[in-house]
Amino acid sequence: MKEFGYERPAHPTDALAMIAGVAGARFLGGGTNLVDLMKLGVETPAVLIDVTALPYDFVTDDADGGLRVGSGTRNSDLAAHLAVRRRYPALAQAVLAGASGQLRNMATVGGNLLQRTRCPYFQDVTKPCNKRVPDSGCPARDGEHHNLAILGGSDLCIATNPSDMAVALAAFDAVVFVEEPAGPRAVPIADFYRLPADEPQRETTLEPGALITAVALPALPWAANSRYRKARERASYSFAIGSVAVALDVADGMVRDVRIALGAVAPIPWRAYRAEQSLRGQPATEVAFREAADAELEWAQPLRDNRYKVPLVRNLMVRTLIELVQAS
Amino acid sequence: MDRALTLNGVEVRFDVEPRTLLVDLIREEFGRTGTKVGCETGECGACTVLLGGKAVKSCMVLAAQADGASVTTIEGLGEPGELTAVQDAFWEEHAVQDGFTTPGLVMSVTDLLSRNPDPTEAEIRSWLDGNLERVTGYHNVVAAVESAARKLKQGDSWKIEPEVVAGDMVGASVRPREAPEMLRGETDYIADVTLPGMVHAAILRSPHGHATINGIDTSAAAAMPGVIGVFTAADLGFVMPLPVIWVPTDVESHWPPHPSGMVPGGQSLLATDRVRFVGDQVAVVVAETVQQANDALQAIRVDYEVLPAVVDAEEALKRSAPQLHETVPNNLCMSAPLGDKAAADAAIAAAEVVVEETIRNQRIMANTVEARGAIGSYDATTGDYTLWTNVQPVNPIRLLIALYVLGVPYNKLRVIAPAIGSSLGAKGYLFADGPLMLWLAKAVGRPVKWLDTRSSYPRSTPHGRDHVAHATLAGSRDGKISALSVRGFNNLGAYPVINAPGSPRTLIGQSVTGAYDIANPYYEANLVFTNTSPTGPVRGSGRAEAIYLIERMIDRYAGEIGMDPAEVRRINMVKPDQFPYDNHLGWMYDSGDYPGALDKALEMVGYDDLDARRADSRARGKRLGVGIGSYVAAAGVGPSAIMGSKGLVSGTWGSAYIGIEPSGEVSVTTGAQPHGQSQVTTFSQIVAQELGVPLEAITIKHSDTNGALYYSQASYGSRSLSVEGVAVYNACQLIKEKARQHAAHLFHCPVDAVEYGPAKVFARFAPDQAVMTLQQIAFTLWLGWDLAEGMTPGLEAKGFFDPPEFNYPYGTHVAIVEVDEQTGHVELVRYVAVNDFGTVVNPKVVDAQSHGNIALGVGQALYEAVRYDETGALLTDSYSTYPIVRASELPSFELLRTVTPTPNNPLGAKGAGDVSNPPVAPAVVNAVCDALSDLGITSLDMPLQPHTIWRAMSSASAGGAAGSGGSASAGSGGSASAGSGGSASAGSGGSTSAGSGGSASAGAAAAAEPAGAAS
Ligand SMILES: Cc1cc2nc3c(=O)[nH]c(=O)nc-3n(C[C@H](O)[C@H](O)[C@H](O)COP(=O)(O)OP(=O)(O)OC[C@H]3O[C@@H](n4cnc5c(N)ncnc54)[C@H](O)[C@@H]3O)c2cc1C
Ligand code: SF4
Repeated sequence: MKEFGYERPAHPTDALAMIAGVAGARFLGGGTNLVDLMKLGVETPAVLIDVTALPYDFVTDDADGGLRVGSGTRNSDLAAHLAVRRRYPALAQAVLAGASGQLRNMATVGGNLLQRTRCPYFQDVTKPCNKRVPDSGCPARDGEHHNLAILGGSDLCIATNPSDMAVALAAFDAVVFVEEPAGPRAVPIADFYRLPADEPQRETTLEPGALITAVALPALPWAANSRYRKARERASYSFAIGSVAVALDVADGMVRDVRIALGAVAPIPWRAYRAEQSLRGQPATEVAFREAADAELEWAQPLRDNRYKVPLVRNLMVRTLIELVQAS
Repeated sequence: MDRALTLNGVEVRFDVEPRTLLVDLIREEFGRTGTKVGCETGECGACTVLLGGKAVKSCMVLAAQADGASVTTIEGLGEPGELTAVQDAFWEEHAVQDGFTTPGLVMSVTDLLSRNPDPTEAEIRSWLDGNLERVTGYHNVVAAVESAARKLKQGDSWKIEPEVVAGDMVGASVRPREAPEMLRGETDYIADVTLPGMVHAAILRSPHGHATINGIDTSAAAAMPGVIGVFTAADLGFVMPLPVIWVPTDVESHWPPHPSGMVPGGQSLLATDRVRFVGDQVAVVVAETVQQANDALQAIRVDYEVLPAVVDAEEALKRSAPQLHETVPNNLCMSAPLGDKAAADAAIAAAEVVVEETIRNQRIMANTVEARGAIGSYDATTGDYTLWTNVQPVNPIRLLIALYVLGVPYNKLRVIAPAIGSSLGAKGYLFADGPLMLWLAKAVGRPVKWLDTRSSYPRSTPHGRDHVAHATLAGSRDGKISALSVRGFNNLGAYPVINAPGSPRTLIGQSVTGAYDIANPYYEANLVFTNTSPTGPVRGSGRAEAIYLIERMIDRYAGEIGMDPAEVRRINMVKPDQFPYDNHLGWMYDSGDYPGALDKALEMVGYDDLDARRADSRARGKRLGVGIGSYVAAAGVGPSAIMGSKGLVSGTWGSAYIGIEPSGEVSVTTGAQPHGQSQVTTFSQIVAQELGVPLEAITIKHSDTNGALYYSQASYGSRSLSVEGVAVYNACQLIKEKARQHAAHLFHCPVDAVEYGPAKVFARFAPDQAVMTLQQIAFTLWLGWDLAEGMTPGLEAKGFFDPPEFNYPYGTHVAIVEVDEQTGHVELVRYVAVNDFGTVVNPKVVDAQSHGNIALGVGQALYEAVRYDETGALLTDSYSTYPIVRASELPSFELLRTVTPTPNNPLGAKGAGDVSNPPVAPAVVNAVCDALSDLGITSLDMPLQPHTIWRAMSSASAGGAAGSGGSASAGSGGSASAGSGGSASAGSGGSTSAGSGGSASAGAAAAAEPAGAAS
């Protein structure tokens, strides 16, 4: 690892002043992703500003019936929180589906949101990669891409967002609260991540130096009937090759409302608006579910080695929807 | 900047660079080496500590992040000298073998139980996924967690007095004696060894599979801070390449040369003009710190000219293939026949049924959580060299380095192995790094340490298996096998490893008939060099390839003749009245009831009663499959003369020294080298049984060439107990004999009248009067005041054992799997193993060996594969690219042991270390093939990852769809139950068109959903 400085401010204003004051300064959450990338030489920050002493380790009820999660909350605490498990089970399941116990004990909500892609070329500094070194090229398109995007990629980059947690947050329309140089901002998760287009190095809409302070989960009573399902290459933990977070409101055999978000298929947690659209007001049947899945996946643009994701994700969606019908 | 944290309850201050990792702070600054490093990427969990009371991986945390926090390491658990409930449970359940991963596991489990006092087995296994383990198969670890949970609920009442073994010591599951210090993190492994004045080496390895070296510029590196020296082959002078010491003498063979002219040559310590695999050693930097050595490595400029490479053994034999060694035409080291080819050919020509198949046993690696390391030191005043290194055979390595590498007198070299964090065979070689550290120590005048890393491991340490066999099996329609003919190809990699070239014909070839009476067997061993890492034994070596081959062929044959594979096995197995049985290829099977073990295993799984289970699985969208793996595996290497006749230049006898101290304690030095097999425990049990002394009075010494044994072998090939243990037994007899003789002299009676009782000798005519304790006998013998004529002073003995024959453990394993029709994912749902290891000294120790063997075999069947691309680039160098099996991927194992003593040693014990690995992979693969048989799938190549299965299902169903005429579109709408209709009749023909309409649509549905486990 290259040498760097380390600070751990106790007050948000100090943290923001520090990040503004030093070129190459970066926030540090649990470090389970950033330190890993520093070992690989992918990240070379000049200073790390550890944000875990800031007053952001909390899970509290919001006045509107929603839940607010501080950005410093450890992943294991989030997954174990009773209100999360009861009211947003897909979120608890998503967090538990990622990494191992020791890593979840360390990882924070803020860091999880901003973890970087697992594209093998991004992690290997001896290889070109547009995301790591703009305009250097994208070897993944013709090379190793079996776990890269089938939706939302661009000619310059087809990396997937690896976070399980973010998929559940996308389904629940979470709002990310940030402090930016210009002041505080509430960013709906739908506007938080951005597609690579011609700037794959920019993964979010945040201003440089933005500090994530909290994530709000809006009230959604029927989110209690939600589920996260993850497919991976082995039975024990590993990154998803396809995942889905679904919440379903079904009454009298009809879909009243539904939320579907897909993971490991796109550069961002992919909200399946088309599928949702095609389901609302429809009978809650397998046929309708398949049609809904097809409506979304029709737009997929798989490459040579990731075609399997289309049927994989289709079946995950259908299976999960059926389970939620049975559960409700 | 000055920081502080509370380490194990004590506030400590530290001032380190921010880039210092917490694990390095703990180990290097504070000297708490109980916390281990296994991977540095957050996968293995060996570095787990409690941070603020919660388990974290300390290799992923910066020291600075722990500023102000409380950190608990393994050393900080419980009261000094005591064990916590968790530690005690690990001890009690034999959840500790080599101990390297133990501290991390204990810390992790401590956290689990603090937040979930009542975990289910599934919860335990899923939590344990954060800790990789290579030898326990997690079986006893899970049991330990359950036991710890119970203990924690009992308050302090679990703290019972140490167990007392009533009756026989041999046969008792006494707790492993080596475990408590491992559980407290007090055991030192190579990473934990530090010498005064020590400096650090980093080795530059070839990034190319094949290249010539046009020049090396070390000047920039040499000028970097902290660098003491940078060395290349040009500096090494008369240092020789590694030797090869197992060369069959009756066949033509071709080798890289060795300057001694006595033996063939292997890898050079540093490559001269050419590199032949990714990992070949090119240069070495010595610097004050590891970091400085690594930094300087980046500054060495090597001018490579990349050459075409070949990575596949059969490809390498083609005329156009790149040539690796001038002295080896066509890359063929040797082609060695075994058996009567003409007879086998004739039997095949005459047979009713002939099955041909190519059986691939993929390249795997031991990938032990502890990597390797070496420290060389040199005393300029005496000329003495000392090598600390975590290898299995310290004495053989001492001999080879002295004679064939450095050319120094045998008595000027001492080799010491600290505790070894398991080997799985791959720490059993002479490596180029060990002698290199010795040479460097002399060159720089200070001790030099090299420690491997996870990503470098596959470049530094030989791999295993990589065996392709074209097999032909012939038999009758009613299930009797008449011939087996095999052309085997072993990919040796770029260089021959000391003992590896002898193994293919002996350990694979001689073993290919497995547990069966096959009249006409023939095996041809072809050993080929390629641009890949050298290969050699990995746990189960040789016999694993052979058993995989024959067990797959048996299932193929059974499918072909439409007979139950269990019945085919029963018909062909060697029967109990056939012993000693000559298998026509060189083995002389000793004893057993092979069909009996098969029937027991089948009974345990309810083999005749699985239809309901199959239907139940099918209803859940899964296909159930049952697979059998029966085996016989030669163990107890070995009769020296027989091994010599096969070309091994090494005595393979066992040896032990026993000295009875004047104060009565017993000191034993064994030629075995424990690295997870608990020989300190089992050998103590033998001594306790034979001499009647308590375990606590017995010390077992090993792993240091400056011990009481001048030369010895080591632990490998399931030989420790049945060869070295017998030597201990024999030494005990000598001790007893001498004690009796001395007593007879003191009692003034004939020796015949004196008996040895528990820790005493007495005259039969006056047992209460003419009696002396062992201590008294030893004391008087050491004093030597009153000795009989010709009696030597002292009570000590060297026992040897050169077995007359190998011994042959055997058994049958059965795997039950479920294959997910929608994802292609294989779940191992049950694993039953019936083994016979002859007489067993410590049942729990032996069962724990089986757990490790099963886990490794399952890993090979389902996950593991070393991969190269066609340029020779290595693609698998981490625990994410080379996955090893985790806790939640295994069920609890169901073990049964039968006991048929071997007549080949006085203990009746057969080998148990690696012999129960060979049946595992075939049992699992047979099970998966069984699950997919109605799709017409008869063979699949390991590892059976979801996408492999998906592809097979997809092409089988494509054939089926075509065959059933236009049902292809059924796939998209096909539901999980679609296949059940057609599956009953399918498969009998064994062709791709066998799928009827029903199974074709199920296949298409399945094919539409590849790759993965869904949760
Ligand atoms: C072996 C392994 C397996 C894993 N498996 C999975 C998996 O299956 N699924 C999954 O989802 N994840 C997985 N992970 C990833 C893991 O979830 C992330 O590493 C973790 O969530 C990151 O959190 P952190 O707090 O440690 O982030 P850090 O590493 O500290 O930071 C990550 C990024 O976030 C930024 N950051 C952190 N906090 C803030 C803040 N408050 N404001 C602004 N920026 C901030 C940092 O600057 C950095 O860029 C795995 C990781 C490992 C090592
Ligand atoms: S897909 Fe994106 S991250 Fe991967 S190599 Fe291409 S540009 Fe880099």
